[in-house]
Amino acid sequence: MNTKIMMIDDDPDFVAGIKSILEKANYSVNVAYNPKDGFQALQVEHYDLLLLDIMMGRGAEGIALARKIRKDPKLKEMPVLIITGLREQIAFLFPGQSVHPHFVENDELLEKPVEPKLLLEKVKALLRLAEERKSKIQE
Amino acid sequence: MNQRSKLLIIDDEEIVLDSCTQILAGDDIQIVTASNGTLGLQLIKEIMPDLVFVDLKMPGISGLEVLEGIHDFDPNMVAIVITGYATVSSAVEAMKKGAYDFLPKPFTPDELRLIARRGLEKRRLTLEAITLRKEKEMLREQFAAIVSHELKAPLGAVQQNLFVLVDELSNQLTEEQKGRFERMKTSISDLINLILTWLRVLSVDVNKIQETFHPTSIASAVSKAVEIVQPHATRKDIEIIPSIEEPLKFVNGDEGTLVETLVNLLNNAVKYSRSGSQVLLKAEEGETDILISVTDSGIGISKEDLPYIFNDFYTGKSDQAVEKGSGIGLAITRRIVEAHHGVISVESEPGKGSTFMIRLPALKVPEHA
Repeated sequence: MNTKIMMIDDDPDFVAGIKSILEKANYSVNVAYNPKDGFQALQVEHYDLLLLDIMMGRGAEGIALARKIRKDPKLKEMPVLIITGLREQIAFLFPGQSVHPHFVENDELLEKPVEPKLLLEKVKALLRLAEERKSKIQE
Repeated sequence: MNQRSKLLIIDDEEIVLDSCTQILAGDDIQIVTASNGTLGLQLIKEIMPDLVFVDLKMPGISGLEVLEGIHDFDPNMVAIVITGYATVSSAVEAMKKGAYDFLPKPFTPDELRLIARRGLEKRRLTLEAITLRKEKEMLREQFAAIVSHELKAPLGAVQQNLFVLVDELSNQLTEEQKGRFERMKTSISDLINLILTWLRVLSVDVNKIQETFHPTSIASAVSKAVEIVQPHATRKDIEIIPSIEEPLKFVNGDEGTLVETLVNLLNNAVKYSRSGSQVLLKAEEGETDILISVTDSGIGISKEDLPYIFNDFYTGKSDQAVEKGSGIGLAITRRIVEAHHGVISVESEPGKGSTFMIRLPALKVPEHA
């Protein structure tokens, strides 16, 4: 079965670029262009990974969404790759945590724009970690 | 002021309280009185008056202590001391402790009205200044947010798609086409970096760099800056001639932003110079400071532009046929220099060239110590 990735970002041009990289690497990608639709989609279907933008709508709505995900027992284990144009501000809000923002249990941060190779590496690493955790729990 | 002004009078003499109240009473003013300092300080915290009259000589806590209390509670509250002729020296003392003015006894009703009006006006201006400062701060933060999202985001998306296209077309592109893609990527990343620089300076308080100030070598900052600008100068066939007096005292500062400052000045000098000319960069020691100057023999700056060149987004009125700047480099430069407790100035003659001078306070220890 294909690995399924959800992407929540309000910038269609940016989404097109990222989606194209991931689909070329045989991931199946669904997109929501706002946090509300995104959260709904996550409730309906299971995804292996979430790509999340921070600055959406009226401000840092991505952070609010990450908090909701952390509180949701079904979703809180899902790995999240945060892709943001605001690394500096994030580093300022959460000093000393620039690599692992820890908005949710398992997350990583990448800065926009992102080189295709780097994106695929991070995605693979997050998926592998999630896989390892799952098999540990099953043991 | 649309609100009623609140005025508090603190004096142990009932007759003073009564007469002042009578003289000053009006529709736009609310008067409260206190017969001693302790009660006065309590009322200050309760009603937060705009203006306080306080007698210096009172039983119990003195007028000076009340002044101190006012200053601790709200340094922007305006206080005027009332004092007898015999205690002019203590009035001076009171002014030192933050009193805005003093009123010698005995005073006429007109004198009291005048000084009260002046005091309230002072309070109004102070409050206005505070509001303006807050608004300016908010605008600056909003501007930063707009720049980051509205300018940086679309550029990021373009860059993202360039990355992807290069990747997807890698088998079909000729070397020449790949080169063109690389140049596009470089230009966009330069633009993104420029926006980040603006953001840093406009959204962040430059004075924050002071938190990490430490003894910094100007000689090292100069050579780093020259290295950065060298390619630009070489392209235009301009020679940068540094001359650094050795040894040079250190300054207390931040090397990164000092280099940025010198790069800005050198880049400007190169930009506005004719091919084949020279740019002089001098660093020398004054009595208590380090003087750095950048001199070009370029187009110069017209008299009407000169007073404004250190302002944000000023690019000059005179339409000279040169590369246009963003109008922010010199403003950034000025802020960085000022954060270092330094001064920047300029002398220029149109057609002959300009000299920019930076003075930074030097540390007492010489460089080699």
